[in-house]
Amino acid sequence: MQNVTGAVIAAAGLGTRIGLGMPKCMIEIDGTTILTRLISTLRLHVPVIHLVVGYREEMIIEYCARHHRDVVLVRNPDFRTTNTAYSLAKGAQSLTGKVLYLDGDLLISEKSLANFIAESQKTEILIGLTNAKSENAVFAHTDIIENYVQVTGFSRSRISEFEWANVLVAPSRFMKGASGYVFERLIDRLPIKGAMLELAEVDTASDLDEAKLFLQKMDGR
Amino acid sequence: MRTAFCFDLDGTVTTTEILPCIASEIGVSDEIATLTRATMDGHIGFEPSFRLRCLILGHVLLERVQAIVSSIPLDESILSFIQTHKSDSFIVTGNLDAWVRPIVDECGCAMYSSEASVETDGVRLKKVLNKADAVSLIRARGYDRIVAVGDGANDVPMLVAADIGIAYGGVHAPAPSAILASDYIIHEGSTLCRMLRAL
Repeated sequence: MQNVTGAVIAAAGLGTRIGLGMPKCMIEIDGTTILTRLISTLRLHVPVIHLVVGYREEMIIEYCARHHRDVVLVRNPDFRTTNTAYSLAKGAQSLTGKVLYLDGDLLISEKSLANFIAESQKTEILIGLTNAKSENAVFAHTDIIENYVQVTGFSRSRISEFEWANVLVAPSRFMKGASGYVFERLIDRLPIKGAMLELAEVDTASDLDEAKLFLQKMDGR
Repeated sequence: MRTAFCFDLDGTVTTTEILPCIASEIGVSDEIATLTRATMDGHIGFEPSFRLRCLILGHVLLERVQAIVSSIPLDESILSFIQTHKSDSFIVTGNLDAWVRPIVDECGCAMYSSEASVETDGVRLKKVLNKADAVSLIRARGYDRIVAVGDGANDVPMLVAADIGIAYGGVHAPAPSAILASDYIIHEGSTLCRMLRAL
């Protein structure tokens, strides 16, 4: 099967729950932005990075002009009325082949991303899963088949030990025309293979403390 | 699907603005650079500013201008992209045809530009290019899709008229108006060309 040809990071959203008045990927943790951490992790595994910007785009554009000149910035001027799935579709428009789709507010352990990407070569679509921990988790229900995990359903109310990690490998046209939540795009295609990721998502102020602990844990290894 | 690639010249294909280089010949490089910057950022309309700059620089002998222009460094990735896609690439520049001819010859593609008449004592501006008109003319050649790359306020009509607009910040930050008129912002020639090849 095919290798991942590029990554699309969705960073157009308002980040209202954390309410710091800036895109979430621009939040600094221990002196380094989430965006820089994410890009340096991705850089090792994907040749091309597309970053979708909307809310306060000028801030991210200027930041990338200084620190990440090889990142392609994709504008979503309709960020106020569209959601992540729309941004991801826009970001993947000029890509071909297999794409890694992810949110811009994630801290991902490099080792688990490497495993995830290696795993994605064996299948057309691979869903990222993580141990359920966030406040507004979308739980993923799974079956263990032989030596791999298969996602059979998503639910906000029916609890599971895993949640949807907001990371996905799929073809570059997969998100085309999508309007709902990203996981809803997957429902029709279930069951789909899943793989675990070690990550922390920064949605709320308390997530920030968790994220710091997560980084310490990763560095401590 | 046939795709045309339109490139602004100054600060996109060239790694520096051309007019301040010509101006150094008569010792007004800083003045022309300031005027060029203010124009790119949209503080002064392109047409009046360009008319003024042509009045000042029109006295420099054409062969001298062309010698200076020939020595201006070009973005290697972009140049190589244009040279390998000659028939579908176009230089769309507000600059004068007579002045920038050496660069366009090196690129080997067609050009849409402002026009000058060549006189014994220099050049005289005849017509300033509207970049949206250039896109219409290129589309009329039978292209299904137009991709435009530019960095200044005078690129806005081209970026808007194109199907895919790319604000290019390889030399300096693109003008805010050029960003707002674009679908993509790219800061590196090699990254730009990799995307163009994938389109």
